[in-house]
Amino acid sequence: MRLSSTGQLTQLRTKCQAAAKKHKKKVLVCCGPGCLAAGAQKIADRFRTVLKQKRIAGFSVQALKETGCHGFCEQGPLVVIEPGGTFYTKVKTRDVEEIIDRSVRKDEVVQRLLYKDPRSGKSIRDWAKIDFYAHQNRIALQKLGQIAQCDIEDYIAGGGYAALAKALTKMTGDRIIDEVTTSGLRGRGGAGFAAGRKWRTCKDVQSDTRYVICNGDEGDPGAFMDRAIMEGDPHSVLEGMIIAAFAVGSSEGYIYVREEYPLAVVNLQKAIEQAEALGLLGNDILGTGFSFSIKISRGAGAFVCGESSALMKSVAGQVGEPRAKYIRSVIKGLHDRPTVLNNVETFANVPVIIDRGADWFAKIGAKNNSGTKAFSLVGKVRNTGLIEVAMGTTLRKIIFDIGGGIIGDRPFKAVQTGGPSGGCLPQSQLDLPVDFDSLTKAGSMMGSGGMIVMDDKTCMVDVAKYFLGFLVEESCGKCVPCREGLYQLHRLTIKVSEGRATEEDLSTIEKLSEMVIIGSLCGLGKSGPNPVLSTMKYFKDEYLAHIRDKRCPAGVCRELITYEITPDCTGCMACIAVCATHAITGKKGKVHTLDQAKCTKCGACYAVCQHDAVLVS
Amino acid sequence: MNHDLGRLPAIFKRYPKSPESLIAVLQDIQKEYQFLPSEALAETARVLEVPLSKVFSVSTFYNAFSLHPKGEKVIRICVGTTCHIRGAKQIQEQLESQLKIKAGETTPDLKFSIETVSCVGACAKAPVVIVNEKYHGPVKVSDYKKLVKGK
Amino acid sequence: MVSLTINGRIVKAKDGEMLLAVLRREKIDVPAMCHHAAVEPFGACRLCVVEITRAEWKGWCDYVTSCLYPVSPGLIVNTHSDKVNELRRTILDLFLARHPDCPEIAELAGEYGVFKTTYETVVGGNNCILCGLCTRICDRMGFTAISTVGRGHGKEVAPPLRQAPPDCVGCLACAENCPTKFIEYKLRKKRVTIWEREFELLTCTKCGKTTITKDFAEYLSRHRAIDAGYFEICDECRRKNLAVSMGEIVNWERELLT
Repeated sequence: MRLSSTGQLTQLRTKCQAAAKKHKKKVLVCCGPGCLAAGAQKIADRFRTVLKQKRIAGFSVQALKETGCHGFCEQGPLVVIEPGGTFYTKVKTRDVEEIIDRSVRKDEVVQRLLYKDPRSGKSIRDWAKIDFYAHQNRIALQKLGQIAQCDIEDYIAGGGYAALAKALTKMTGDRIIDEVTTSGLRGRGGAGFAAGRKWRTCKDVQSDTRYVICNGDEGDPGAFMDRAIMEGDPHSVLEGMIIAAFAVGSSEGYIYVREEYPLAVVNLQKAIEQAEALGLLGNDILGTGFSFSIKISRGAGAFVCGESSALMKSVAGQVGEPRAKYIRSVIKGLHDRPTVLNNVETFANVPVIIDRGADWFAKIGAKNNSGTKAFSLVGKVRNTGLIEVAMGTTLRKIIFDIGGGIIGDRPFKAVQTGGPSGGCLPQSQLDLPVDFDSLTKAGSMMGSGGMIVMDDKTCMVDVAKYFLGFLVEESCGKCVPCREGLYQLHRLTIKVSEGRATEEDLSTIEKLSEMVIIGSLCGLGKSGPNPVLSTMKYFKDEYLAHIRDKRCPAGVCRELITYEITPDCTGCMACIAVCATHAITGKKGKVHTLDQAKCTKCGACYAVCQHDAVLVS
Repeated sequence: MNHDLGRLPAIFKRYPKSPESLIAVLQDIQKEYQFLPSEALAETARVLEVPLSKVFSVSTFYNAFSLHPKGEKVIRICVGTTCHIRGAKQIQEQLESQLKIKAGETTPDLKFSIETVSCVGACAKAPVVIVNEKYHGPVKVSDYKKLVKGK
Repeated sequence: MVSLTINGRIVKAKDGEMLLAVLRREKIDVPAMCHHAAVEPFGACRLCVVEITRAEWKGWCDYVTSCLYPVSPGLIVNTHSDKVNELRRTILDLFLARHPDCPEIAELAGEYGVFKTTYETVVGGNNCILCGLCTRICDRMGFTAISTVGRGHGKEVAPPLRQAPPDCVGCLACAENCPTKFIEYKLRKKRVTIWEREFELLTCTKCGKTTITKDFAEYLSRHRAIDAGYFEICDECRRKNLAVSMGEIVNWERELLT
């Protein structure tokens, strides 16, 4: 059925809502990236099979929803029973039948599957009351995890495409741009450029053609917000893009998705087809005469393609080498035409802004940093997952209140934000409000929203070396400061980690970093030294320990550590099995011995030992 | 080495015959053949009217493309930041020493390939290893047998 | 025309003209290794970087590659500030580490007072500085026979599949324009070999000297509307012939007038 007016969309919404109300219960199985890795698909399949067999009155299999990421990945696979928000964690296939019998058929709760608050020790039934969720504020992620992936009717029932209808029929392009400008929405992809201003520039350039591109090349390692949105709530991205296209006067759009996200491509493609079938995308959208089409452009594994000019080259089928942007891509972008490029999360915010108004949005967050920001909270934090908080929320609140602190109550050491362009912030910065400007001032950056928590077992020299190594691999190789400069910075951090460096090498790192920053062609090189600079700024002692004392305090850098087997060894032979160089010998039940001459310090024995009998020093 | 190029026309049909389709076409060829046979590159250049040197340039620039055949089982170790600090390197070394190949290589019997990938966005389950399409996480060093032998 | 200030001197230029062109016209020496009049500016070597500011920037300044930077009224340029010189030295220092045996790099680095690299010498380095002139000129010539291969630190210039390039016509423009003479070719009697491909050279029907490759001549006559007969004699002989042709024309004109 094609909708040819906004009235028909409203009718469809009423119909979808009525259909949903027929079901007494709703079973939501999270099929986000984390839960899928933990086997969620099997859980969903099991639910479907058992529900079909059982035929519960007032419940049909249609009320079983495979949703996008619900957020609390650490506790996955997650299953939610609505109404009431009964939240089941670490669900196994063998639990499915019991959940159905007790929570779908009846209103009981399977106590052992509930989340247990580690502080109070009490079980919590409703997910919204769990600390992890209670401190969040969801806008871009509001539908994520609540609706079925790739189900346009679910999206519409929840108010989806209402903002588009409003924009197309009650607003002009200029009005929309003004609204987005007033909302203060800044691009969620990294640098935080004002979205409204970008749209205005694009609209004001004389041109026969304009493009709207969604940047779904979430390249920062440790970030998966955009993946979750594209997979779990693709329509919010489409709706945001269509509104942007109408505002600036574009009829052609692209979504650039990185190749590591195959499911995102599948789900976006389905969503595009669904929207086209309903006349929400394509020719004559909702009978308003406005036409806009979206094509998916798959990345092919290149971090640099997150950079706007490289991305546009990649969309055009070429090598993703950035060009100098003394003329910005919003003026001369894809095929040299004016192009609006925003990331996934930015577009996902747009329908909400249009729907609820700029003033409402502008009140959320911090000064000049309105709204919320989604983060993937990962690393050595207890509650890993996908979160969204108001801008200006402190790191402490995010890591300790939402994240539940550090795994095993080890000491917090640093939090890394902004991916390879960002930096590591120490304990002393925990009260820093998280927004674009504060993070940049502290020597890190927002980036796309990866937040990687590190404990005392993480070596900051190793982290700097890791990011530089990543960038050396990912540099396009066009300009000298990035290609050769980052390579040499990487060599220098290797030198530090191996205990071969001098203090003079540290000043070489500083000087070379400054030159790479001012000399590089694109953002990859310009921000590439940030991880090494920020770790040197906040963790100088750790660098000096590697240099002066030839010691790695975190016990990570191989050249500076030794492994020993202590008398606590029970002789379980687990370490012998994993030791690739056969450095460990011993009999079952007897304390093993480690031949230092053969040991490559790979740490495999340490990782497998269940008895804390391997010592690093 | 000769490869059956008969599967190419079906791929070309999916996209407009323009240079803009180059990456998409190469991705489909990669998926179909598990690598990019050199004859297929030449055919792509001819059909899309892109110079062969550009086709080669693109196929060596992007990580997704391989010019050598891959093993039946492709083990991809995520080495994203989270996986790194949670011990991805140990897992990589364990797999490398067990299969006696380095990341980026394929066993001579074409059974296994090891690759590293910088973040697959499943950080909450770090460290993550993907065997063909299936995600595993959090993976332990001692899981190598399961990863190599499992389906 | 617009006015801008370069090193304290007011200079006139066309609005939107690239800054490096203005600097060259004004005889201000700024190094550039990836720039060539025949191709679009590229901004890879970064040696032509300059410091720019404007009165309204209140002391803030930026560093831009002059080859790519269009001038505008009121621009204030410093081509040799301390930072700019330091950046050029750093780039040359990085080049020295990567291309330790390259005389052209050593000479330029010496001009900037860099004689020994601060960094670790790269093992297996060669003299290709990846300026991309060869591939871009090849593109411009219309062949696109060679391209960059790979990315990052391991990037290189190579023919497709690292085999003799099918689209090459042996014009030698890549080799002749390589700033570090890295691209080699071998001339042997009536043949030339480049990129491991051998080409037959045409010989002048008058003097017997070799001219351009047969493939290149065919390409030019087919795609550039130059008559194939044009290449039957070499430029020298053509110049020699000029007197004869001129004489014939003059005679012919006289005949017409009388």
